[in-house]
Amino acid sequence: MAFLQTVDLEQRAGAAVLLNKVNLSVERGEIFTVIGPTGAGKTTLLRLINLLDRPSAGDIYFDGEKITGSSGNVVQVRRRMAMVFQKPAVFNSTVYENVAYPLKVRGYHEKTDRTRVYGLLDTIGLGGYAKRKAKTLSGGEAQRVALARAVVSKPDLLLLDEPTANLDPGTVKMIERLVMDFNRERGLTVIMSTHDMQQAQRVAGRVGVLMNGRLVQVGRPGDVFFSPGNARIAGFVGMRNLLKGHIVHSKSGIVVVDVDGRDIEAVSDLPAGTAVEIFIRPEDVVLSKLASDSSARNDLRCIIRSLSSNGPLCTVIVDCGFPLEVLITGKSAVELELSQGQEIYTSFKASAVRVLPSMQG
Amino acid sequence: MQEIWRALVQAVNLIVSLDTEVVQISLRSLYISAASIIIAALFCVPIGSLIHFHDFRGKRVVINVIQTFYSLPTVVVGLLVFLFISRSGPLGGLELLFTPAAIIIGQVILIMPMLTGMTIGALSGVDKTIRDTALSSGAGTAQAIRAILFEARFAVVGVLILGFGRAISEVGAALMLGGNIRGYTRVLTTAISLETQRGDLVLSLALGIILIGIAMVVSVIMNILLQRY
Amino acid sequence: MKTLLINRIRRISIPIVITCLLLGAILTGCAPAAPQPAATENASDQVTTFPIIPGTPRFKIATTTSLYDTGLWNYLEPMFEKKAGVKLDIVYAGTGVALEYGRRGDVDAVVVHDPAAEAKFIADGYGINKRSFAFNHFLIAGPADDPAGIKNLTPEQAFKKIYDAGMLDPNKVKFISRGDNSGTHSKEKLIWQAAGLKYEDVQKSGPWYVEAGKGMGPCLLMASEQGSYILADISTFLAFKSKVNVAPLVEKGDLFLNVYDVIEINPEKVKTAKMLPTAKAFTNWLMSDEVQDLIAGYGVAEYGRPLFNPLKGGGCAEAGCPKLEDYTVQVQ
Repeated sequence: MAFLQTVDLEQRAGAAVLLNKVNLSVERGEIFTVIGPTGAGKTTLLRLINLLDRPSAGDIYFDGEKITGSSGNVVQVRRRMAMVFQKPAVFNSTVYENVAYPLKVRGYHEKTDRTRVYGLLDTIGLGGYAKRKAKTLSGGEAQRVALARAVVSKPDLLLLDEPTANLDPGTVKMIERLVMDFNRERGLTVIMSTHDMQQAQRVAGRVGVLMNGRLVQVGRPGDVFFSPGNARIAGFVGMRNLLKGHIVHSKSGIVVVDVDGRDIEAVSDLPAGTAVEIFIRPEDVVLSKLASDSSARNDLRCIIRSLSSNGPLCTVIVDCGFPLEVLITGKSAVELELSQGQEIYTSFKASAVRVLPSMQG
Repeated sequence: MQEIWRALVQAVNLIVSLDTEVVQISLRSLYISAASIIIAALFCVPIGSLIHFHDFRGKRVVINVIQTFYSLPTVVVGLLVFLFISRSGPLGGLELLFTPAAIIIGQVILIMPMLTGMTIGALSGVDKTIRDTALSSGAGTAQAIRAILFEARFAVVGVLILGFGRAISEVGAALMLGGNIRGYTRVLTTAISLETQRGDLVLSLALGIILIGIAMVVSVIMNILLQRY
Repeated sequence: MKTLLINRIRRISIPIVITCLLLGAILTGCAPAAPQPAATENASDQVTTFPIIPGTPRFKIATTTSLYDTGLWNYLEPMFEKKAGVKLDIVYAGTGVALEYGRRGDVDAVVVHDPAAEAKFIADGYGINKRSFAFNHFLIAGPADDPAGIKNLTPEQAFKKIYDAGMLDPNKVKFISRGDNSGTHSKEKLIWQAAGLKYEDVQKSGPWYVEAGKGMGPCLLMASEQGSYILADISTFLAFKSKVNVAPLVEKGDLFLNVYDVIEINPEKVKTAKMLPTAKAFTNWLMSDEVQDLIAGYGVAEYGRPLFNPLKGGGCAEAGCPKLEDYTVQVQ
């Protein structure tokens, strides 16, 4: 049995089903990320694991023992875990007292407290903040305090519920690094939820996709990222450009898909005649003024419909007979002198096209 | 209008000259109301905390009932307690009627609903995440409740001050249960009532000013202590 | 979930119950006394001492407001406490309430001034050893311009005139009643009766008749504010004269006699009444020369005449005055 195992876990609230037969296995010492859109049930799942709420059905096993059900000492189980919440939560006292709180409730000695707490404060980059009032901290600082507070009692399992939502990029990086350090140095098992796919990629050993209360795909980030199990997952992990078509030709693992009259080459084992949905990542598409002579197998002439810049990048919507969203650097956009209505060549490799059998039919 | 000014002057006079009877009455008011609030708080803060902390069927109903009792008419409470502790009542053997303890009993009953309900209110003002943080940090129920109370400490102290104010300004029950006996159960409010009856309005106002003064001092002291922690 | 909650409640209730018991013990003493049977009347006074004020036993009396408002008891109280070595607790209330306290045994003696109610009280067995110790008179006061024209009539005549005038024009003529079953209120009812009117009729007859439900002092203040007529005892009237704007209009009449009596509570009927020996001492003390002389002098300096009249020395000479034995014979 895995270190943390849920068996057919269900949670209902009135008529709504928040979690539906979730079977989650997390191994000791790994960093497992639960990703999913808002409202998928990530918070619900973590709260159940931390025994803050009781499930409507199903069980949870921790280190081989069943922790759900009316038997068992809830407090003792919780003391082997720790949780960091989405909103930085600090008590209205000093930073030191906040971090030392878990030790206080366990009745530890003053001397053990001091060394450990001060050490942790240094680790999280808030050495010297011990006497500061916690309420005066910024969001990022408060969340770091929450993280220190979570690990100070040396738990076996660390739960994090979207810990970096709404924080600045610098703090996000710092917290991710701290989590990974704690995991590596202390062998601390981590279950973290996020809706940021990139974060999951950076941090996680394995990823689980939670959608509408169901755990729909589990695997390494690369697997999920590049081989989403279905269209919805694909859309969530950043696959855009969902197009419908059917395979007209299949040979040696390369297929030709007819999309609205245009042919697109893709990598797939599906037979000809299959109705499919294909995805292309916007960043896998290359734009150029001239027909490309690269090794890309797909080269289409399209017309630019709209341009919009977001930070250092630029999103270009082109019309190739079907709409395509392309992501390029702002610099490229300037160099190409892109403008609306302009004719442009779009090219992308066959391997950049993901093919999935159509959901309908 | 003139009376108010004269009352102010007389109040200062009484305080400065440490008029023995006024001092005695004031200390008695203070002692009785302090005892009332302490006893009531010993029950109401834990009970209020427990009600707030746990979710159970009928929780809303319980809270509504408590809030209804905010408006307990003091004379009714006074009468009911009187019937109990009168020598011919069920608790007559305890010889409680016309003693300071009787006033304390009446006042405790009067402020208990308010103290309980507003403790729940004060705790409800604390972010839910505090509760979760405490629990996930390994706190047991009592420890978690203490953490929440600590977060809400300003509001809770406010509730205690309110309760004290309500107790020290109580007239009806204090009169009925204490008897306004000179040198024994006469407190500021019953003394004011007597002096009003006697037609000495200036003295009544002066005593009233002293009462407000005491309440203010108590409130200030409690707030200062709160800031320290 | 429910079982855990119940367990928690159990764990908290035990300390709470213990606290309750501790507090109960502190507040009430550890040995509540059972009511003493009457036979121990000869034994020394065993009163459950109230632990917060240990030691001196407490002797409780209920007295009427009119005696209280004049400040007479402020004088008498320390005297008796010193003499008898007890704490004298004086609770004041209208005669009706005072007698009720007596019936319940919440006080050990009552001092009231309502002969009819007292007679019933004694006949029912609640009171014993009634003695009289002071007297004064009532009077009818009202606005100085006397709109009802009652000056120098007899009490009954005056009341009739007030009634007629009030019915005619309640804005011009009003009457304020104590309305609280006090001795004064009972006297007022007697006078209405003597005037040939039924009290229930008077009560409901019109807006000119105001039932205040307050003590004598506040009623006088009210009468002053509203320009009403009022029946008051001379002592309270004098004590309030400087604060109110009413003039004495009718001062003579047999019905105006007002005698103050002290009655002890009978421990045989009221099992919880205590301290009969002290009550007897109290009664005798009120009749003693010391007190009678004090009463004779009380208020003279301030008001030019005593507020109350002692009975000793035959000061009461009119019809209805108590008999000699009622104010001289010591209680055994």
